[in-house]
Amino acid sequence: MGDSQYSFSLTTFSPSGKLVQIEHALTAVGSGQTSLGIKASNGVVIATEKKLPSILVDEASVQKIQILTPNIGVVYSGMGPDSRVLVRKSRKQAEQYHRLYKEPIPVTQLVRETAAVMQEFTQSGGVRPFGVSLLVAGFDDKGPQLYQVDPSGSYFSWKASAMGKNVSNAKTFLEKRYTDDMELDDAVHTAILTLKEGFEGQISGKNIEIGIIGADKKFRVLTPSEIEDYLQEVE
Amino acid sequence: MSKVAIDMPPKGGFSFDLCKRNDMLVKNGLKMPSFLKTGTTIVGLIFQDGVILGADTRATEGPIVADKNCEKIHYIAPNIYCCGAGTAADTEAVTDMISSQLTLHRYHTGRESRVVTALSLLKSHLFNYQGHVSAALVLGGVDITGPHLHTIYPHGSTDTLPYATMGSGSLAAMAIFESKYREGLTRDEGVELVAEAIRSGIFNDLGSGSNVDICVLTKGHKEYLRNHETPNPRTYVSEKGYSFSKKTEILLTKITPLVEKIEIIEGGDAMEE
Repeated sequence: MGDSQYSFSLTTFSPSGKLVQIEHALTAVGSGQTSLGIKASNGVVIATEKKLPSILVDEASVQKIQILTPNIGVVYSGMGPDSRVLVRKSRKQAEQYHRLYKEPIPVTQLVRETAAVMQEFTQSGGVRPFGVSLLVAGFDDKGPQLYQVDPSGSYFSWKASAMGKNVSNAKTFLEKRYTDDMELDDAVHTAILTLKEGFEGQISGKNIEIGIIGADKKFRVLTPSEIEDYLQEVE
Repeated sequence: MSKVAIDMPPKGGFSFDLCKRNDMLVKNGLKMPSFLKTGTTIVGLIFQDGVILGADTRATEGPIVADKNCEKIHYIAPNIYCCGAGTAADTEAVTDMISSQLTLHRYHTGRESRVVTALSLLKSHLFNYQGHVSAALVLGGVDITGPHLHTIYPHGSTDTLPYATMGSGSLAAMAIFESKYREGLTRDEGVELVAEAIRSGIFNDLGSGSNVDICVLTKGHKEYLRNHETPNPRTYVSEKGYSFSKKTEILLTKITPLVEKIEIIEGGDAMEE
C-alpha cells in the first residue's frame, strides 16, 4: 500500500493526508486495557481494568489512575510509561499556572496544555507520538467535566467515553445506559457494569481501579474495599 | 557573511551586567528606588505537641510604615509554615516558589512533605544567590519524624533550635525566650510565651509593630491565628467625621454600583477532528 512508504517518518504526510504514525499510536491505544469515564450531574467517575502480567506482581504498588491537581484526575489507555511522562508534565503545568495566577487551573486549560504537549511530539524531529489516550476528569467552577485527549493532541469533551480494547462494546453499552441526570453513585455502578461487559475472569476490587470526584471537588482513588462495596451493590 | 550565535547555557544566579550602568546613573543624579523591608520580629518555638510560630505585622519602607497589617507567616505545605524577615518581596517569592516545588514533590512521592526538605530547598536557593536574596526565615512544621524548627540566614546557613528569633526585634524577643522558655510547654503556655516575645519586639523595636500573628502546628492539624492580639488599636477616631472645605467641588453625589455583564458566547471548547 502506498501509505506504508510514508509510515516511517513522523513528520511526513502520506498521500491520503494522514500522519501514519499517529494512526499507529491510536492502534497502540486500542490494544491497551479498557478505561472509561462517565460524567454525572454532581461529579465524574473514571475507571480502568488493572490486569497485571502475573500474579506475582504486587498490585498495591500499581496505580493507573493518577491525581493531577486536588480537583483533577486522569486515567489512560495504552503505554503506561508514556502516561507517566504526561502526568508529570501536566502536574508541573498546573502548578505553574497556580503560581502565576493564584487560582486552581481550570480543567479546560489543563487539558489544552496537555494536548499541546502531545501535539508537539507529532511535529518535532526525532521523537515519536505518545502511545496513550488520556481521560481527564475534573470538577471546577464550570461543574463536572470529562475530557479525552488523543495521541494527535486533539481533545474532546464527553458525557461518557471509553478507550482501549473493548471500546466499541463499551461505548454501545454506555450509550444505552447514560442519562443526563445520573448521580455519581449511579455513574460508578454503570462504570462497573461497563467494565464487567468485556472483563475476562472474575472482577474484584483488586483488578479494577476507580477514581471519583464529587461536589466536594476533591479527586480521589477508591480503595479496593470501597470498590468491593460497589461491586456487591451491583450484584 | 555567516552569523554565529553562541548559545551560552544559563548560569543561574543574578547577572551583574548592569551594575556599572547603575553606578553611572546614580552618579548622574538618579534616585534608586527603595525596597520594602520587613524590619521584623519573628519567632518560633517547639512545645510538647508541635511548633508555634509568631510574627509582628509591620512592613517598613525606611522610616515609614508601609503596611500596618501585613502577613509574615507564609504557607509552605499543609504541615509546614515559614516566617520571613528581610525584603518583603524576597521572602514572599522564595516561600511561594518552594511551596510550589513541594506540592509537585508531594504528587510524585505520595507522601506528606518533610520540614528538612523545605529547609534544603530554601537554603540551596539562598546560597545560589549568595545572600542577594535578602530573606531571613524561621521555618517550622510537624512531619512524620516529629516537630522541627529551623532558622535560615540570607546567605544560606541554617540552625536547628528549640526556640528561635529573627529580624530587627530578635534581641528583644530572645530576651523573653531565654528567661521563660522551658521544655514541655503546653499549647496555651506556648502561645502566651510567643505572644509575649512578639509584643516585646513590637514595643521595643521601631522596625516591628502593630499586631501579633500566631500559627500553631501539631501532628495533622494547624491553627493560623491571624491577628491573635491587637495591642495597637487606633484609639482616636473622630465622631464628627470628615468635612471638606467649602471650596471643594462636589462632582458626583450618585453612586452607581457596577453590574456584571454576562455574555454568552456560542460554541465551546470541543475540538473538531
